[in-house]
Amino acid sequence: MKDPFDRTKVVLRHLPPTLSQSALTEQIDGRFAGRYKWICFRSGKNSQKHQRYSRAYIDFKRPEDVIEFAEFFDGHIFVNEKGSQFKTIVEYAPSQRVAKSWSKKDGR
Amino acid sequence: PERSARVSKVRPPLHQYIRKLLFTDLDKSTIEHVLRQLRKLPWSECEDYLLKCFMKVHKGKYSQVHLIASLTAGLSRYHDEFAVAVVDEVLEEIRLGLELNDYGMQQKRIAHMRFLGELYNYEHIDSSVIFETLYLILVFGHGTPEQDVLDPPEDCFRIRMVITLLQTCGHYFDRGSSKRKLDKFLIYFQRYILSKGSIPLDIEFDLQDLFADLRPNMTRYSSIEEVNAALVELEEHERAVPTDKANSEKHSD
Repeated sequence: MKDPFDRTKVVLRHLPPTLSQSALTEQIDGRFAGRYKWICFRSGKNSQKHQRYSRAYIDFKRPEDVIEFAEFFDGHIFVNEKGSQFKTIVEYAPSQRVAKSWSKKDGR
Repeated sequence: PERSARVSKVRPPLHQYIRKLLFTDLDKSTIEHVLRQLRKLPWSECEDYLLKCFMKVHKGKYSQVHLIASLTAGLSRYHDEFAVAVVDEVLEEIRLGLELNDYGMQQKRIAHMRFLGELYNYEHIDSSVIFETLYLILVFGHGTPEQDVLDPPEDCFRIRMVITLLQTCGHYFDRGSSKRKLDKFLIYFQRYILSKGSIPLDIEFDLQDLFADLRPNMTRYSSIEEVNAALVELEEHERAVPTDKANSEKHSD
């Protein structure tokens, strides 16, 4: 098990369903460009019946960067094109696993 | 009255094929074949759809959930990004289920608990993820104004979630630090159960089976006072035991 202070992977939850990855990374990179190794965006869904928030997983280079990121983005309000507000939650990702950077080519 | 015919959903052939592999073909004897076929897919095109289908474990047979977990572990060798995403996704589903506490989602939520346990059995996640999830289930929303919506006193669904997860993978927590972690969790679990007051009989029987399976000699406390006293004792004991022992076993699970 990883020491809590070594954790570097966070999840950004309750993002607006229609938020695009590029709009999000633009916001993040304003302050944190070059400080994370990996980002994975899971786009939400905006339908009447099943609305789903967007999410993003980010693996930072240093545990200290996580603290600063949380101070900045936890509780951050995103406003969508219709003016609705979305209050973001930043948490350590419950699974700290990150894909290995080397990708083995599948010979199949 | 005239009505237009119901328009049935037309899926692209690639999606149809993925669904056939996972929802029709997959069984114990075909899993090697299915894995090979999945590896041959055009991954850049269909990775997102595949992830979506892997989350539909509740659509298949409950006894087949472990096959999807096995496929996840099998794919991690070539598509680690995907295998990592499966874990993140199922944990998100569990969390979302706690946030919404929607009655209609119960079957799906139980299937996801089983799926998480099977991912542990296939050594795709480590025990810390399991224990973090177990504790999250006990405490989520407690002490907030929404507690009565998220976990009303008469709602025993979270007990079912814990039972399902521990029935699936609890028997592996039988030695070393993960044994101690389960011992401790089960006392917290007992406190949660007692906080519910009366438990429906069917759940009580499942609990009896679970304790008999995992910890036949463990005391079942009958009051909150008793269980609290046991927790105080446990914490004092933990403080007395030097922590280097915990460190040396850090990598044993």
